[in-house]
Amino acid sequence: MLTSFRIIETLKTKFDKQILEAQEPVSNQVFVRIVPDALIPVICFLNQTLSPRFLINAAIDRREQDGKYTVFYIFSFDSEKIFLCIQVAVDAADPAIDSITPIVAGANWSERETRDLVGINLRGHPDPRRLVLADDWPNELYPLRKDFPYDYKPPSEPQNKVPLKKPPQRTKVIPIGPFYPVLEEPAYFKLFVDGETIVDCDYRGFYCHRGIEKIAESKLTYNQICFLAERICGICGFIHSTCYCEAVERAAGIEVPLRARYIRSIMLELERIHSHLLWLGIATHIVGFDTLLMQSWRIREPVMWLCEKISGNRKTYGMNLIGGVRRDIPLSMHDEIIQVVEKIERETKEVIDAVIGDTSLHVRLKNVGILTQEVARNICTVGPTARGSGVRIDSRVDHPYAAYDRINFEVAVESGCDIWARTLVRLKETIESVKIVKQCLLEMPDGPIMADVMEEIPAGREAISCVEAPRGEAVHYVQTGDNNRPYRWKVRAPSYPNLQSVPYLIKGQRIADVPIIIGSLDPCYSCTERMAVVDVRTGTERIYTKEEIMKR
Amino acid sequence: MFISKLKQALICLKAGRVTLPYPYKPAPPPEGFRGRPKVDIDKCIGCAGCANVCPSRAIEVTDLDEGWRRIQFHLTRCISCGRCEEVCPEEAVKLTDQFELSTNTKEDLTVAIEIYMDTCQRCARCFKPEHPLDKMMITGFRK
Repeated sequence: MLTSFRIIETLKTKFDKQILEAQEPVSNQVFVRIVPDALIPVICFLNQTLSPRFLINAAIDRREQDGKYTVFYIFSFDSEKIFLCIQVAVDAADPAIDSITPIVAGANWSERETRDLVGINLRGHPDPRRLVLADDWPNELYPLRKDFPYDYKPPSEPQNKVPLKKPPQRTKVIPIGPFYPVLEEPAYFKLFVDGETIVDCDYRGFYCHRGIEKIAESKLTYNQICFLAERICGICGFIHSTCYCEAVERAAGIEVPLRARYIRSIMLELERIHSHLLWLGIATHIVGFDTLLMQSWRIREPVMWLCEKISGNRKTYGMNLIGGVRRDIPLSMHDEIIQVVEKIERETKEVIDAVIGDTSLHVRLKNVGILTQEVARNICTVGPTARGSGVRIDSRVDHPYAAYDRINFEVAVESGCDIWARTLVRLKETIESVKIVKQCLLEMPDGPIMADVMEEIPAGREAISCVEAPRGEAVHYVQTGDNNRPYRWKVRAPSYPNLQSVPYLIKGQRIADVPIIIGSLDPCYSCTERMAVVDVRTGTERIYTKEEIMKR
Repeated sequence: MFISKLKQALICLKAGRVTLPYPYKPAPPPEGFRGRPKVDIDKCIGCAGCANVCPSRAIEVTDLDEGWRRIQFHLTRCISCGRCEEVCPEEAVKLTDQFELSTNTKEDLTVAIEIYMDTCQRCARCFKPEHPLDKMMITGFRK
C-alpha cells in the first residue's frame, strides 16, 4: 500500500539532493519542493513507476516573499487517496521551465495557461500558442502577476491574434462556433473535413475568461469568494463553492461540523440529479429527439423547486461559507425531500426503460465519439467522460470530501467508450444520487452547522481539494495570504481536461455527429452579462441599450 | 423499437400539461426565498457592516457633510445572497420575497437611505450617537 510516507521516501532515495523539501501539512496531501533541473526526471520517474493521474499545474508569483515564481504540478493517487504537489521555484529574472506536455499529454492547456497568465516561458512545448488571453492582449503583460493591478485595462494590440492551424491538403474548413457551438457557450472549433469525414480540428476558446482568480486574490475576502466561486458554473455552482471552502478549511485546519458536511452532500447530490437530467434533455435535443427534452426537464423541475425551498434560490444556493453552511435542513422538510427524490427515481427509471431499447437513439449514440481507455487516461479526462471509457475514477470515493467517507454508493462505470456509455453512466448516477440523498437524510446527526472560526486564517498555508461535479472532478488549490484573502486561488473546472479530448473524439467521424459528440462531454457553458459589440471599422466598443436591440 | 416508442408516448400522456400560467397568474415563491433586500431606516444604525460583507459590492456607503451618512443599495448588482441580513446587528435588513425587478430605468433599482450620525471631533468621521434616544433630540434627524 502506497502511503504519503512511502511516496516521500521513494522520491528521496531516487533523487536525494534534488528534493529540497518534502512535507505533509494536510493529511494525505504531499508537497514536494524540487530543484528546477530535476523536474523532467521526477515527472518521468513518477509516470513510469507510481503512475499518478495529472490534475493541474499553475504558477504563483512569490517575488515579494522569496524573489521567485513557484510553479506547481498536482497529481492524484486515486486508489490511495493521496494528492502529490510537485513545486519548483523559478528564477524571476528569466522565468522559464521545461514543458512536461511531451510526457503528460493532459498538461497541454494548463501549461499554456501558466505561460499566458503568470509569464513562465515553456521550453519544448509542442503547441506553444496563446490559449487563455484575448486575441488583442499585449505581449509581455501577465495579469496574474502581483504587480499587475486588477482593474488595469491594457491598450488593444490586434496584431497578436492567435494563428489557427492551416488545413491539411485537399481538405475543406468547416467552422463550428464561435457563437453557440452546440451549447450556449462561446468556443470555436475549426474542422478540417475531407468529404463528410473529419480529418483534424483546431480549437480556440476562453472567450469568457473573466479573471475571477485575480479579483479574488486582490479584492475579495475569504467569505465573499464562496459566492464568486458559486458563479463559475451556471449548472454546478455549489460544487465550486464547496470545493473552494474545503480547500480553505483544510489549509486553515478548520473542523467542519458533521451535520454541515451531510447538508453539503445532500445539496451536491440534488445538484447532480438536476444536472444529469438537464444533460439528458439537451443531448436528446441535439439528436433531434425533443420529446425526451420536454419530459426530462419536466422530471427535473421539482428538484429546482425543492432546492428553492431549502436554500432560498433555485440555482445559486449560496449556502456555503468557510466553516460550514448557512441554512439547516429542518426535520419537517425530510419527508418532502424524500417524496420529491423518490418521484424522480421512479420517473427516471420509466424514462430509462423507455429509451434503452430505442434503436433510433442507438443509431445516433452507439459507436459514435469513441474515446478509448488509453486516450482517456492520457488526456486525463474526468467524470462520466472517463467512466464511460472504463476509467474508474470518482473523487467522491478517491478523495472523500463533505460526508462521502460515511456514505455507501456504487460508482457507475461503463466500458462502451462511446456516447451511449456516457449516457448510461449519467443515468445510473442519477439513480445512485437519489439513494445517497435518502441515506444522508437518514444518517444526518444533530448539531451545529457552522464551525466557530474565531482566529484569522494564517498566511502561507496551502491545500488542495477535489469535488466530483456532474461533469467530472473540480480541483481547487488555495494558498492562504494576508488581509483575509487567499494569496493564490487556482480553479480547474471539469470541462477543462474533457474539452481537450475533442480532437481525438471527432477524428474520423461524420460532420453530422460533431454536435452530439461535443455535447456528450457536457461542457459547462458561461454566459456573458450583456451584449458588447466591437465595430471593426472604427475599433470602438459600445454596448447596445434595450431599445436599440428592440429596434433591430 | 415499437414498444419503446409506445412507452415514451405513455410517459408524455401521463404527464399531461405541466406548464404554469405565469405571468398571467402570480407564482408566489416558497417561504425562506431570498428576494431583494429591504432596509428599515428606523432600525439602521449606519454601521456599514452590510457593505463590508457584500460579495458583489452592491452596498455603497458615503459620508456626506454635516454628519449625514448615505447608504445605497444598488439592486442591479445585488445577488440576493442575504449576507447583509445575516450580519446586521439591528436586524434592519431583511430579504423580501420580491423577485420581479425588471425595469426600463436603471435608477429605479437604487435604494438610498440617509442617516444622521455624530461627527467625531478628532477624525471627522461619522458615528452613531451613543444612546438611541439621542437621535430624537436632533432636529430633522430624518430627512
